[in-house]
Amino acid sequence: MGTLHYLWIGLSHIFTPQDLIVLVAGLLVGMAVSVMPGLGLVMGVVLALPFTYRMPIEPSIILLTAIYVSGTYAGCFTAILYRIPGEPMDVPLLWDGYSMAQKGQPAKALGWALVAALTGGLFSSAVMVALAVPMSRVALSFGPPDYFAAVFFGLTTVVALAGTSLVNAFISLFVGLLVATVGVDPIYGAYRFTFDSPILENGVPYVMVLVGMYGLGEVFNRLSQGLKLHGEPRSDTRVKTDFPSWRELWLIRKTLARSSVLGTLLGIVPGAGATVTSFVSYGIEKQYGERRQLLGTGLPEGIVAPQVGSTASVAGHMIPLLTLGIPGSGATAVILAAFLLHGVQPGPMLFTDPGSKAVVYTILASLFVGVIGMCVMGFFWIRVIVKVLRIPQGVLSAIVVLFCIVGAYANRNSVSDVWVIVVFGVLGYAFDKLRFPISPMVLGAILGPLAENSYMQTMISYHNDWTVFFREGLSGTLMVLSLLAMGYPLARHYLEKRRRARPPAPRAAARTDPA
Amino acid sequence: MRAATRLAGTAPYAVLLGLAAYLFQEAGQLEITRIEGRLGPDFWPKAILVLLMATCAYELLRRLLRGSDARPAEPVTLGEDATVDELEPDAAPARRYPHLLWIGAGITVAYVALLDVLGFFLATFLYTLLFMLVGRYRRWPVLIASSLGGSLLFMFVFMKVVYISLPIGREPFSAVSVALMQLMGIR
Repeated sequence: MGTLHYLWIGLSHIFTPQDLIVLVAGLLVGMAVSVMPGLGLVMGVVLALPFTYRMPIEPSIILLTAIYVSGTYAGCFTAILYRIPGEPMDVPLLWDGYSMAQKGQPAKALGWALVAALTGGLFSSAVMVALAVPMSRVALSFGPPDYFAAVFFGLTTVVALAGTSLVNAFISLFVGLLVATVGVDPIYGAYRFTFDSPILENGVPYVMVLVGMYGLGEVFNRLSQGLKLHGEPRSDTRVKTDFPSWRELWLIRKTLARSSVLGTLLGIVPGAGATVTSFVSYGIEKQYGERRQLLGTGLPEGIVAPQVGSTASVAGHMIPLLTLGIPGSGATAVILAAFLLHGVQPGPMLFTDPGSKAVVYTILASLFVGVIGMCVMGFFWIRVIVKVLRIPQGVLSAIVVLFCIVGAYANRNSVSDVWVIVVFGVLGYAFDKLRFPISPMVLGAILGPLAENSYMQTMISYHNDWTVFFREGLSGTLMVLSLLAMGYPLARHYLEKRRRARPPAPRAAARTDPA
Repeated sequence: MRAATRLAGTAPYAVLLGLAAYLFQEAGQLEITRIEGRLGPDFWPKAILVLLMATCAYELLRRLLRGSDARPAEPVTLGEDATVDELEPDAAPARRYPHLLWIGAGITVAYVALLDVLGFFLATFLYTLLFMLVGRYRRWPVLIASSLGGSLLFMFVFMKVVYISLPIGREPFSAVSVALMQLMGIR
């Protein structure tokens, strides 16, 4: 009853002019950045951050969350219509979405994507509202060992899921954790790795790491590729959305249910962002779907599964952020930064004070309204949104750089911060070129201080006895899960290596050898 | 040739290993008052550096000892940083333009360096104009209009709406910023 009451209050706040304008603006920005290859929802959220500095907390978070949620949807337009995936998460939509469009049904393919985004978004938002209070109660009982174990779990899953090389992912994570140690140590007040530089004495704000690595680094990367689109939007394509019938929807009910649950659950796991959920949902459909053999030929299931998965992951990611203060992705890290800039620490205490509770439920309600809003806007304004592709890449990249630079400067009115993002921009480009994944480093920089503080507090409280992490029920479970998350890719690698090393079976060899 | 490629592949790990070793030594020289039975402020960075050095050393050795086997020995996982090229098998490999990158990075560094001298408006106007030229956009009316309009719009939005005091520059360039601020009603 309390939850519904607060949700109702949240809904009434959303429909105030200020919050509503911010929500619509966020949805539009999210759609625009996700349509444009190379921008993406994380960059959209990063670029919008400076606008929140002078806003009250409620519209700030609504703006960023709206960009995040609509950023998982609009990429389907260009993937289905022009075979231009706005983001990696849209790649599975090429296989069935573009195929369906090629069969003369682009409007139907867009309709399936819209229904999928709506279903996934609303389902995961409902789960988030239902889980928020129980999760915050559990979080209230968290001690330093549990906190450390939760952060450790986040770090290990990020490594397990991020990038193309496990070793490089670990290196990236350690570099991020190391960046977080620069500055004055919080317990002893010692200066670490400052090299007598006043810029480094206050540490490296992780927002600068984010803006540099994701924003400037991506622009440098695109510059090195000549600022070109992978495809060209055709002007003769019919841009329209046709809804599937109720009967057609009933036929894919299992796909909708499966992908909604999977997307939400994977979203809760830190590190498993929209790209992972999109691919895993498609993979599960390919493995267990009723028409799995036909997947890739233009089936609705091939559009619905990845789209539901990616949109459902958004609300999933908001759960650990709001209840534990642990961001599980680049976008939620920026949202956490916006909370902190307004002097609010997300976590279980948000759910105890009636004032902050109203803010939280307004944010939760904004997700419901945002999901419905993005679908309505996608339906009516799709023609306008896909025109973003016609903006010259040189112009667009210049705008992105300016946003990055002004955003960095505005944080503390200091040109030193701008130098910091330039350094991280170059590092982001180097990481990309050397195939070191960026997200482990960024999350290392974000979660590093949390991990260090909780670890040091545990060591002080338990007299340097590290076995406490494994002895306590909650922390022990999380530590075991962390070890599994780390062990799984290693075990898979070992099995894969053995499979490769095995000589081919004689029958197969005979069949391939004509002699 | 193959040996040279292999050595080049090990370079990033060797550099990181060296850097980590240097930072480990730096962490050992922190000015702190030790408390008996407690971990010091050097413990956490040292622990991370040990892990970093171990991982780099492992990869370095693996790459040096690996024979002609060109397959990646590390597990390949799907990640948030995977690019469209990696995920879409049919995508054409992207052509590289290193000179554009160097020029782009160079003018970005110059822009940041000149921000305090020229002021936000002049520096941004020049930077956006040059950046779009580097981005191989050649329609001059659009170039000038968008860099001029963009700089003015950014100045107006961030100084008048978001209340951020952007750099106005030094004399004589600051006169341009001040004049524009007066026109826009920015105090």
